Amino acid sequence: MTDQEIFQKCAELRDRDIPFCLATIAEAVGSTPREIGAKMIICADGSMHGSVGGGCGENQVRSAALRCILTTKKPEFLEIDLTDDLGTRGGDVCGGKMWIFVEPL
Amino acid sequence: MDVIARVGELLKRGETFCLVTVVVSANPDIPAGGKTIVLTDGSMEGGTGSAQLDSKVRALALKALEEKKRGTVEIEDGVRAFFDVLSGEAKLLVCGAGHIAIPLADFARKVGFRVTVLDDRSDFAHPSRFPGCEVIAEDFIVALRDMPFSPSTYVVVITRGHEHDAECLAEVLRKETAYVGLIGSRRRVQFVLEMLGREGIPQERLEEVFAPIGLPIGAESPEEIALSIVAELVTIRRKDHAQGRALRAAAGGSR
Repeated sequence: MTDQEIFQKCAELRDRDIPFCLATIAEAVGSTPREIGAKMIICADGSMHGSVGGGCGENQVRSAALRCILTTKKPEFLEIDLTDDLGTRGGDVCGGKMWIFVEPL
Repeated sequence: MDVIARVGELLKRGETFCLVTVVVSANPDIPAGGKTIVLTDGSMEGGTGSAQLDSKVRALALKALEEKKRGTVEIEDGVRAFFDVLSGEAKLLVCGAGHIAIPLADFARKVGFRVTVLDDRSDFAHPSRFPGCEVIAEDFIVALRDMPFSPSTYVVVITRGHEHDAECLAEVLRKETAYVGLIGSRRRVQFVLEMLGREGIPQERLEEVFAPIGLPIGAESPEEIALSIVAELVTIRRKDHAQGRALRAAAGGSR
């Protein structure tokens, strides 16, 4: 999704009174699945639009977003570590680290 | 400031701007999530509440815009902000709806361009050939005269003949564009550009035309040629004209 489509979706969700969070990759080092600035919307029902990296780290982002929507109403700055060597612990193996800002809009 | 509405409006207008978001803050006066918009002319909407900090944010935002580089910066002790560079959707206008236009429109759409295809032959400029694209079957000059252009408009000229290439370019080069590329053999593009020069299009403007079009990846088939053109479009969108020229020069030729 382009940035324009993401913000259109935000406007649409707000018009429909559906609570959501916007997640944006704000910083990244090493190899990451998506670039700085990539965005994803997470809705109160758990549905997602856009992507901050496919499987890599998206579960953590989704949990943070739901925590924010359902309880804290506060933004979070998440560090996502993708350096699990061979994925032996079921982790992500892209090799880098990224920091994602999750905020209610 | 209604950020969603304002950002949406700026993107729709095709503007490029910096959206600054506080992501970490130890200062209760500057809460995380706070946003400021900085436009390319340096004007600001929102702000941190401190004139001194605002001027720092403005300078950093203008630098991010200049370098097309997004990332976080510590703007004061314990306060980190994300500088996001946002641009309206790039629009690609394809003049000529022949065999290369089909994969070109398809690939360009997939990498995020909003695509318009124009040809004066209605069987070629037919919506069934270009799913997801705006398709215009109309005389080239008539259609181009009324078409809106912006600094986010990319134009690829691949008509069926050099007369049509020339008439399209004569219109397009009078408008604001992000990129103009012309397909054809070295001889054909030279001929078209010289003709336009004689018709009064300024030399500097003609030199901005990427001709022959496309990055040098050894493309032969229509799909490969389309790929080489889209690769060039992405280079210009993500980097700049200089990078596009450098990549061609490095390989010593076109496509």
